[in-house]
Amino acid sequence: MGVEPWDRDVLAKDEMQLTPDPVSAALDDHIYFSKEASSGGRGFGGGGCGCN
Amino acid sequence: MTGQKKGSVSTALAAATCTLLGATPSAPVQADESPGWSFDTALLYYGESDDRVQDASLNVLAKRSFLDDKTLTLGLSVDALTGASPSGAIAQDFPQTFTRPSGNDVYTVPAGELPLDDTFRDTRVALSASWEQPFARLYRGSVGVTASDEYDYTHAGINARLSRDFNQRNTTLSFGVAFAQDDISPVGGTPAALSPMLDVSDLGNRRGDETKDVIDAVIGMTQVVSRNLLVQLNYSYSSASGYLTDPYKVLTLVDGVTGEAVPRAGTPGIDGPSHEFRFESRPDERTKHSLFGQAKYYRHGKVLDASYRYMTDDWEIDSHTLDLRYRIPWGDARFVEPHLRYYTQSEADFFRVSLTEGEPLPLYASSDYRLGDFDALTAGLKYGWMTSGGNEWNLRLEWYMQRGELDESQLIGNQPGMVEYPDLDAIIFQVGYRFGR
Repeated sequence: MGVEPWDRDVLAKDEMQLTPDPVSAALDDHIYFSKEASSGGRGFGGGGCGCN
Repeated sequence: MTGQKKGSVSTALAAATCTLLGATPSAPVQADESPGWSFDTALLYYGESDDRVQDASLNVLAKRSFLDDKTLTLGLSVDALTGASPSGAIAQDFPQTFTRPSGNDVYTVPAGELPLDDTFRDTRVALSASWEQPFARLYRGSVGVTASDEYDYTHAGINARLSRDFNQRNTTLSFGVAFAQDDISPVGGTPAALSPMLDVSDLGNRRGDETKDVIDAVIGMTQVVSRNLLVQLNYSYSSASGYLTDPYKVLTLVDGVTGEAVPRAGTPGIDGPSHEFRFESRPDERTKHSLFGQAKYYRHGKVLDASYRYMTDDWEIDSHTLDLRYRIPWGDARFVEPHLRYYTQSEADFFRVSLTEGEPLPLYASSDYRLGDFDALTAGLKYGWMTSGGNEWNLRLEWYMQRGELDESQLIGNQPGMVEYPDLDAIIFQVGYRFGR
């Protein structure tokens, strides 16, 4: 399992990062934290909001 | 070139893992970035149907890269919230009058309509800052702070993360912790648990401000499986203690035979609630465990991003979340990305449709639909394009829906047919611009 250093070109692409769009990911976390009883998993759990 | 790529990938991988273990704002770091600032900005509109919650949100994530792969990330988020939210009371065949949370006024909900509290209006400002850097040969570490403020809620938090590469940097293990302290200052004061809604100007059941502490810990592993496949597995633990109740939610006290709201004897000459409503009560401890797995797969320029999360907590809520994104290049400088998300949760053990007159009050009770039994689906599309200067614009349009079910054994009298789970439909629209990268 794994690859040699010279086989990492694809993995280096922006779109292959685990969170390629951190702002959208944070916004989604905030929305779902506000509307559902679960949070976190990907990173720290949501919080910092007295959401209605 | 090879060496550069190796550095780029391993650093990005480690940084991505490390980043993901923390608050989402910080971005994966690319080792080949030259020192300087880059910005990630977004305007978001979130709108629920039936005049429920509307949110306009401005977001900026600024990253300063330094030599030696050190980065400073600063985040700003401003939300303007308006609209109405279900109060927790049930719909009835007759009009119902409620005292507003401030205790200054009343509002009336027509017969047959779901009671919504329409006084919801707030501005929220959130800030974050984090510093991340490599040390020793195979380690990366970061520390960060978070803070947010809204009219009735403030949050302050700190976090730290550490990751180490193994196996020729094909495996990265990470550990992160976060601590937060939140202060809750409800409009009109904090209502005592299960106390009745009172007349206008009667704040006899209100208490002072409350606090909540949250400790989070995440252990994660990221593994390069092949040239085209990357996987991640996280275990998360979260422990919250303090005031976990929603101070604005109530339950209807109903007649044990008819299931209808019990009329309240008001005070002559003073406005007040027409029926008996009780403020909700939740435990002051909650422990959550989550398992999260994600895979990224690349084939012929397309990228599949699939993730799954299982969560369980000591409120007896279990949830499953499946998220799929498929990024498809469109020409040299554009892409489209369909997104599908499915979520399902079971209800909290103290979730109840209503309280029954004559029965002893339970220790904990809430009819907040977010603690109920429901499924949710998100379907959407993102479209992005690169400018000639190398910056990126993107648009995102998504539809979010919740469909829930009430436990029929909890419905009494003529509640079946009248009382339903408050289904939710919402639109998410976002414009993003990334520059300076």
